Amino acid sequence: MKEAQTLTARELHCWNCGAAAGGTHFCPSCGKIQPLPPDTDYFAFFGLPRRLGLDAHALEASYHELSWRLHPDRFAQASEAERRLSLDRSAQLNDAFRTLRDPVRRVEYLLWLTGRRREGENKQQAPPELLEEVFELNEALEELRQARRTGGDGAAATSLRRQLEAERQKLETMLEAVDAELVEASAAWDRALDSGAAVEPLLDRLNGILNRRSYIRNLVENVRQELAAD
Amino acid sequence: MARTVGIDLGTTYSLVAYVDPETGRPRVIPGPYGTPLCPSVVSLDPDGSIVAGEPARRRLLTQPDRTIYSVKRLMGRGVEDVREEQKLFSFRIDPESRQVVRVRLGERVFTPPEISAFILRELKAWAEEHFQDTVDRAVITVPAYFNDAQRQATRDAGRLAGLEVLRLVNEPTAAALAYGLHEQQRGLVAVYDLGGGTFDISILKLISTTEGDIYQVLATCGDTHLGGDDIDNLLLGIARDEIHHRFRVDLEAAPERIQELRKALIQAKHELSQAEQTRVIFPLDGSVYERHITREEFEDWIAPIIERTFGPVRQALADAGLQPAQLDEVVLVGGSTRLPLVRRRVEQFFGRRPHTELNPDEVVALGAAVQAGILTRGAQPMLLLDVTPLSLGIETMGGVVAKLIPRNSTIPASAQELFTTGVDNQTGIEIHVLQGERELARDCRSLARFTLRVPPMPAGMARVEVRFTIDASGILQVRARDLRTGQEQGVEVRPSYGLTDAEIERMLEESIEYAEQDFAQRQLIEARNEAESILHYTEKSLASEAAAELPDDDRTRIAAAATALRQAMVGTDYKQIRRLIDELNQATLPLAERMMNRVLAATVEGRRLEEL
Repeated sequence: MKEAQTLTARELHCWNCGAAAGGTHFCPSCGKIQPLPPDTDYFAFFGLPRRLGLDAHALEASYHELSWRLHPDRFAQASEAERRLSLDRSAQLNDAFRTLRDPVRRVEYLLWLTGRRREGENKQQAPPELLEEVFELNEALEELRQARRTGGDGAAATSLRRQLEAERQKLETMLEAVDAELVEASAAWDRALDSGAAVEPLLDRLNGILNRRSYIRNLVENVRQELAAD
Repeated sequence: MARTVGIDLGTTYSLVAYVDPETGRPRVIPGPYGTPLCPSVVSLDPDGSIVAGEPARRRLLTQPDRTIYSVKRLMGRGVEDVREEQKLFSFRIDPESRQVVRVRLGERVFTPPEISAFILRELKAWAEEHFQDTVDRAVITVPAYFNDAQRQATRDAGRLAGLEVLRLVNEPTAAALAYGLHEQQRGLVAVYDLGGGTFDISILKLISTTEGDIYQVLATCGDTHLGGDDIDNLLLGIARDEIHHRFRVDLEAAPERIQELRKALIQAKHELSQAEQTRVIFPLDGSVYERHITREEFEDWIAPIIERTFGPVRQALADAGLQPAQLDEVVLVGGSTRLPLVRRRVEQFFGRRPHTELNPDEVVALGAAVQAGILTRGAQPMLLLDVTPLSLGIETMGGVVAKLIPRNSTIPASAQELFTTGVDNQTGIEIHVLQGERELARDCRSLARFTLRVPPMPAGMARVEVRFTIDASGILQVRARDLRTGQEQGVEVRPSYGLTDAEIERMLEESIEYAEQDFAQRQLIEARNEAESILHYTEKSLASEAAAELPDDDRTRIAAAATALRQAMVGTDYKQIRRLIDELNQATLPLAERMMNRVLAATVEGRRLEEL
């Protein structure tokens, strides 16, 4: 983070004509495509503030407009250096669009930008209120696997499957609740940005929600796979 | 000015096309045999020269151990990968192949990119003959589901053929481009592409913008080992079993006969797309294997192969978040989509009649030409946004894969990772790059390895940022930067199943040996050889018992055609020779029929005698 900040502070000049280019896609003076600044900010790439509420249609239109200008197809006849810049910029454009168009990845990215989420740390904390639930679930999953291995008696397997099916529905309801929470917290983040309120507690809240969400989602996925394996 | 073409480098056939500057429409280039389909077959002549295309295909029957087909199946693959398939080929995989497969043709050994380069050279010669101008750049198509190694092998082949490969384009996407130009389609389009050796499904969204049309691929999936070849091999297996069972004849030891049988069965397969039934007649020593096949029986045999395509279709739809009924258009591409069963099943699955207006053999090459036009002249206001078919990741602790770029990401795509050292004074960090969807490295496809260099310092102090970029051709590029110094670091990537730059350089030097003879000269030699053998055969036939009952006017027609051909052979116009060969072939048809009938009658008689 430290290095990145010092580099951004430095004025960025056009590699071609030397005019101040300030990290824009094209030099305002000579029109040549510019290298990516060393730090990444997908919001800034689209000229957007770091808000979590995003107009999906406007984002897509902006993505298409930039694709026309940055895609390597448009630089097939250009110099080697420009072709490489186009490759970097259009890759960044696609990465940014892929991240920002998805509301969950968007939050994840904001947390990464603000230093909350790095290198996979505490991504999958078991929510304390779920511990007992998870314990029982894992037991049922193990029993089902056991039954499948031994070819065990059908009635027991059927009842286990019914239990897991119920468990799956419960987890999916939880997932919906967490998603609703995420929407609420995202809106709160945007309000805080507008009013200038403290954002730190909101970042912690968003982080907590994401951790819980990814934990529950993994559980749902496990149960789904196990049920589908039959 | 040198020209740029679009090339469909197919498993069975390859084609070359260009955009007509006057009409702005793409067109395929017909070769010297009057068809734009160039068989993807290469043969090493005993005199050491290389033959590619139609003349090589003819050698499949006479010199199967010096002739290779379906080389696309071997591109970018390791020896382990092709062990199973080797049984189906008449040529041999060199036992000393290391990671890159090497194929033995007669006394020489070639890698698959070298073989493909011979096919590309042939097409390049066709185009140069057509334009009367040099061709030095090309857009080449690949199956959408090709991995990085298979794409690199294709690009290497282009380089070895003396072509600058401007872009690799996914076959179904190329087909969508050709159709889009043809029909001004809009909305959500599924392209179902079943070729000779590969299957692809791509889901696209066609969007109109003020600048032009955007072809955005939403998802793609496929199977790089599923196609018409599998149907041929299935038929071959059935016929061989039946021959073995009925006549106690094992064709195993006779590769020439197996190729003949394969050819007859492929013919039957084609006929069954038109007719409700067909008959395979295959003469054996002293008997004839005769097999009546109805379309129903044929479809029962191949149904499991066709069903295998719907796994990837469902996956692609799920990845795009769509239901079959939401698609606005379905397009069929690839020769195998001529099978009525395929058409029925696709129509049933999507609930709408698929598009088949454009020739399924040509549409991919036409699309490649359109993309070549876009890249060289900005000819069409069209923009293609394709995706990477497989997730890209690196191996981490415990052999687990950390995914960096998920499958179906729009390309170019990139990811950055920060690496550091684990022990004091460590000077290198080993990185292993993989492609695939599984969690463990050993279940994914190994792409490459490389080492990051760091100066000795305490553990955890080094900070090297690696940028993985998948370019618009779907090929990985790696760059590394030392964050403490800001210096870029050269990364020497060691491909797991590909050729190194040094190997390609060496092959380029070697290939000068095969420097193209003058195209017309080569065509002339081929045409004369062929004329000679048909004249010889005609004479022999005229002397046979069957010819005794031949009506006089048939006999006169044959004689006239033979004389005309002999005269043309003295000249240098290979096209004229070819035309007269066809005429002689036509003239000898009645004779050939009589001879066939006699063979059949004789065997039937023979069998009756035995029975008595």
